[in-house]
Amino acid sequence: MPIEITDIARLARVLAKSGVDTIEIEEPGLTLKLVVDTGARIAASAKPAGTATPAADHSVVAKADVAGHFLAAHPWQDKPFVAPGQRVEAGAIVGLVRIGLLYAPVVAPAAGTIDAVIAETGTMVGYGTPIVRIRPHAANRPLN
Amino acid sequence: MIEILSVTGPASVQDLGRFDQYRFGVGTSGAMDDIALRAGNILLGNDENDAAVEIPMIPFKLRFGRDMAFALTGASVEAEIAGRAIPPWWRSHARAGDVLTIKAISRGARSYLAVGGGIDVPVVLGSRSTQLRGEFGGLHGRPLQPGDILPCAASTAAVGELGVEPADISLARPNAAADETIVRVVVAGEYDAFDAATQALFWSSHWKITPQSNRYGYRLQGPAVKPKAPVEKRSHGIVPGVIQIPPNGQPIIQMRDAQTSGGYPKIATVIRADLWRVGQARLGSKLRFEQTTYPDALAAEAEMSAYLDRLRTNVRLVEETRTCR
Repeated sequence: MPIEITDIARLARVLAKSGVDTIEIEEPGLTLKLVVDTGARIAASAKPAGTATPAADHSVVAKADVAGHFLAAHPWQDKPFVAPGQRVEAGAIVGLVRIGLLYAPVVAPAAGTIDAVIAETGTMVGYGTPIVRIRPHAANRPLN
Repeated sequence: MIEILSVTGPASVQDLGRFDQYRFGVGTSGAMDDIALRAGNILLGNDENDAAVEIPMIPFKLRFGRDMAFALTGASVEAEIAGRAIPPWWRSHARAGDVLTIKAISRGARSYLAVGGGIDVPVVLGSRSTQLRGEFGGLHGRPLQPGDILPCAASTAAVGELGVEPADISLARPNAAADETIVRVVVAGEYDAFDAATQALFWSSHWKITPQSNRYGYRLQGPAVKPKAPVEKRSHGIVPGVIQIPPNGQPIIQMRDAQTSGGYPKIATVIRADLWRVGQARLGSKLRFEQTTYPDALAAEAEMSAYLDRLRTNVRLVEETRTCR
């Protein structure tokens, strides 16, 4: 779905109000970066995304839906949420994105077996960043 | 509403506490870990004083009577809702009939289950907290039992899953070791009744938290700390956090359900900003006292408020961003 100009305006207002200075949104075919400048200038750039998910690949990808730092395990737990070869249900938490004091879940879009954890703990991820690749079980269709 | 299916130990309904009746001898009660209670309520958009269930032992199991948002904070627990695992310090949404199970506690001592709108037991003397000593407040003034039905003011609005960084991490203290809790204390009225060597012993000892520790107080075990001469005082007002030295020289930290007065000599008082750390210290683990000053105690309180302020702002921001999409 394309990002509407009204969405950009609304996002910009939220950023300005909340003191966050940058947001990056990536979706198939588009990238949006908003930077709130101290001089109140707004830089926005839209460019076609260079890398799309290979069409022939049947795997589904759990993506971050918010910008922040990726955590493969909860800081209180040694074990990561998922590891390759592990079976997960649709909606299962496969990782966290840390934003300030909050942890937003990254969830499996479909039931299946974990192929790979793509993102590395501690790295900055954005909206749409692939986190975990899942081989869906034959009977299940991806939700996204 | 919520139905308690299985409970071990004295789980109870607690809000932040009952503060206006202290002069009449009515103790504060309230959550042993007030930060965890506030964090749970902030996650749910509740009033921070809304009542929650304090769960000190496992296993614990309950059933949600209708759709509602809930948050689990406090101790690190292995918990499941309708078969799905819930990470620590997490909010989620339950459907009518869903069962929440808490199977293990791996860190900390008390878990808090908050629900959207709060647990709606009657307010008694200004609070919903269970007064176990006086047998009022909470649900019929007693610990929860299987079959109990807790009324909830819950709104049925669905919320997205979201976690918060445990206060233990955000407010981590330097030199903290696994299975040892370090708490800051200011010296109290009878500190000078102990000679220098005994005072040093009090500071250097790794005190063991005995099984005779609960919401009333924590009884510690270690070397005997005795005053130069026996101290005989009339009963006088004390507050949660006061560390008394009874004749056997084994300290007692008064906690939320403590009496409002006592006569034992007081060697020190745990600062309010660290009282929750005592509330989360496990039986059998070690506790050490670190001397602090009144200004530093206030600074610690400011740091705690800053954490909560940041939490409120962060939650509001994420909710706004989500509604924007």
